[in-house]
Amino acid sequence: MTVGSQQTPAVLIDQASKWYDQVIGINDVSLAIDGGVTGILGPNGAGKSTLFKLMMGRIKPNQGSVRLFGVDPWTSTSPYRRVGYVSESEKLYEWMTALDFVTTLARLHGMTREEATDRSAHVLDFVGLSDVMHKELGKYSKGMRQRVKIAHALVHDPDLIILDEPLHGCDPIARTSIMSVIRELGKQGKTVLVSSHILEEIERITEQIVILHNGRLLAIGNLHAIRDLLDKHPHRILINCEDPRGMAGLFVSQEPVFGVRFPREGQLEIQTNNLSAAHSLLPSIVVSSKQNITSIENPDDNLESLLDYLIKEAN
Amino acid sequence: MDRQGRGLSETVWTRLDRKAGAIVELTVRQLRHRLSTWVVLGVGVLLMGLLLTFYIDAVRETFEPIDNDGDSVDADGDGYPRGQEDKYGTSDDPWDGSSEYPGSSVYVFEDDIDWNDDGRTIYANKSWDGTAFFEPVWIDDNYSGDWWDSHIDWRMGDNGEPLLTDCSNWDLQMIYNRIEWGGACFLGDADGDGLDAYYVAGKWRGEGWISVPEEQYLQWGYWTEEVYIEPHPKEMYINEDGIDCFDSNGEKVDCPAADRLSGSHGFDDDGDCLSEPIYEVDENENGILCDVVWRSSNGVVTGITSDQNVDEDPDEQEYIGELGHRMFVIAVGKMAFVILLGLFIPLFLALGLVRDETENGTLHLLLSKPINRSEFIVYRLLGYLAVSGSYVIALSLVVGLIASVLGPGEQLVRLSDLPVWLGIGIATTLVLAAYGSLFNTLGLISPKYGVYICIIFGIWEFTMGSFSIINPNWSVASVSISHWALQMIDAIVLMAWPDTIQWAAMDSAFSIDSGLSFFWQPPVHTLGTQSAGISLLVSTVVLLVVTASCVFVGKSIFNRREIM
Repeated sequence: MTVGSQQTPAVLIDQASKWYDQVIGINDVSLAIDGGVTGILGPNGAGKSTLFKLMMGRIKPNQGSVRLFGVDPWTSTSPYRRVGYVSESEKLYEWMTALDFVTTLARLHGMTREEATDRSAHVLDFVGLSDVMHKELGKYSKGMRQRVKIAHALVHDPDLIILDEPLHGCDPIARTSIMSVIRELGKQGKTVLVSSHILEEIERITEQIVILHNGRLLAIGNLHAIRDLLDKHPHRILINCEDPRGMAGLFVSQEPVFGVRFPREGQLEIQTNNLSAAHSLLPSIVVSSKQNITSIENPDDNLESLLDYLIKEAN
Repeated sequence: MDRQGRGLSETVWTRLDRKAGAIVELTVRQLRHRLSTWVVLGVGVLLMGLLLTFYIDAVRETFEPIDNDGDSVDADGDGYPRGQEDKYGTSDDPWDGSSEYPGSSVYVFEDDIDWNDDGRTIYANKSWDGTAFFEPVWIDDNYSGDWWDSHIDWRMGDNGEPLLTDCSNWDLQMIYNRIEWGGACFLGDADGDGLDAYYVAGKWRGEGWISVPEEQYLQWGYWTEEVYIEPHPKEMYINEDGIDCFDSNGEKVDCPAADRLSGSHGFDDDGDCLSEPIYEVDENENGILCDVVWRSSNGVVTGITSDQNVDEDPDEQEYIGELGHRMFVIAVGKMAFVILLGLFIPLFLALGLVRDETENGTLHLLLSKPINRSEFIVYRLLGYLAVSGSYVIALSLVVGLIASVLGPGEQLVRLSDLPVWLGIGIATTLVLAAYGSLFNTLGLISPKYGVYICIIFGIWEFTMGSFSIINPNWSVASVSISHWALQMIDAIVLMAWPDTIQWAAMDSAFSIDSGLSFFWQPPVHTLGTQSAGISLLVSTVVLLVVTASCVFVGKSIFNRREIM
């Protein structure tokens, strides 16, 4: 992620705002992205899709400017030669086979039918759909459909790939498969933007994140750096076990732990200022307690908690 | 290789072609996968099948001869058709009070005493009509007619003397006042000659002295003997006055005469023109009574003006085949192709060309590619036209081929029909382009209510199209797309069949009533040249301009529209 780099970045957003009547979509967002995988994080309604629609020239900013490779996408389609876009829309041409679908869209890049067919077969293989590429899209599962959409976005070997909620609604196997595809694209040196409202998903894909909240750019940078800040803030660890009180006795003497609670029967809540240090203690304490542990949860290790923290910090 | 050293496969134009090909192909395949496409195209085929069935039924049956001038009827029920009564000078009108029929006794006028004649007294045995003092030696008391004939009822007594009102003491003015027309009164034997006198006002027959008062009128004559005349069969008065043309030598030839297209032709075979008063039988005002004036230009008959009742009852079988065939081709081309298919196909296929992609969310897939929105609209319309245009052209040629095989003429296939059918297909395709681009634009302007706007517009187009058929000169109708497509068909018909003006003129001039002159009239937008080619060009340009304008408006709207 480069801000103010010498070369023209793939994505350059300068004080862009977009509102729909009384509703704000994006509010004064400035951003420059070039190279690598970047996660666009934010809860539903944060403005992720608005940001992507601005980048893809679907909508026009009310204020500020949006540039893809230095060109305004609202007035020119030329940047799309270097962009692959997966929209959040679920709709496909159900009567087409995957190969047909990707080939047809590939031809819109000016490829010959033969070129388009070869490239389509190649990208469908890349996303793991080569076995079923002659099957009609109407018969595809959700995860397969997402991978077809990714394939159509990759067919012309773009430099910038924009993926709007590509993991939404996918089963775990599909998620893993799509995540590995995205990571692979990052390794190839592409600029990839992936939006999600689930922190875990983005964490498994990339360290570069942009966090949006209520249309505003809340944070930008390395996820680990943000997480380190978060870790130093009070965190809770919920442990479901046979004897919470016995287990609590083992924790209270430890330095990172500053308090314990028993929210309900069979459950222990540990309060800490250093989440990673507390987690490193967990294995030895669990072993020495000789109890059956049914689950360990980190209720504050999610996007909402991160946002709460960042909003408090900002205030 | 181009100037920049790129191969043909890499030029901008080639890439545009490939994009166009992809969108067109996608559109065609989308339309192919929609049920509504098959329904509307199927209904079109069914409609044409139905019309062809009617046509086949019409050509298979022998044409029933039509009595165009209505002289085969016997309106007064006396057993004699009107044509025969016309020849004998008797009336066939059941309401005129006459009981005349061919061979019936006829009154023949002989003389009269006018209001100011000098000699006002005569003796004779006649049929009298007027006002007089009558001193009879004989009265025909059977001389009577219907009451409105004003025949005198003498009311004969048992002694053979009339029993009438006694007016012998009345003065003349009182008699005039009290005795109405059709009446008489008794005056007595004032002169003592042994004969009674009567005042009579009406019609009567008798012998005696007649004296006509001053300022009164009386005429007299006699009735002919009644003879029996064989009634003619009514078929004799059907198709009895055919279209007659003559060559430069005055010999009768097939119409139109090859060596004398213009000028006086026609012959009053049934005599119903020649029997009229002279001043009524030269409507075409060429100084020749009871003839038909043919006008031609550049070897084609352009107009026919006939005197009344000349060549007015031709043998339809001789003309109706060709006239009916041309009428079928033109009527199907205008009503079924241009107006019905021209409106319904775009309503189902073009309205949602871009709108549906937006609503389905698939537009994001297409617009994420390097294709601008204007191109997208144009390529979508091309895809729609590839389906609808090829459909109407194929359909018109198939219908045309069948009709050409079934149509009149000695050749197996009427090759001269095929350009007309092809022209109908092309005119309909241009209409599909204009309506398609308009409906697509309306769908973009108002995605929710576009269909209702299109339906209202369709009603306007249907109405204006119908008016254009009836009167293509009506300027309001030219503010419609259908008018220009119908003009194209009129022009194409004239170019492929230059003698259609003649057939239409014959249709109206000789009351053949095939419908050709209703469905076809010479094209009007010729820029004063009277050239069908110019009219075709003007109409084509107008339709293309309308299409381009609608595309332009649609693209302007679409370019500014934000897609959510």
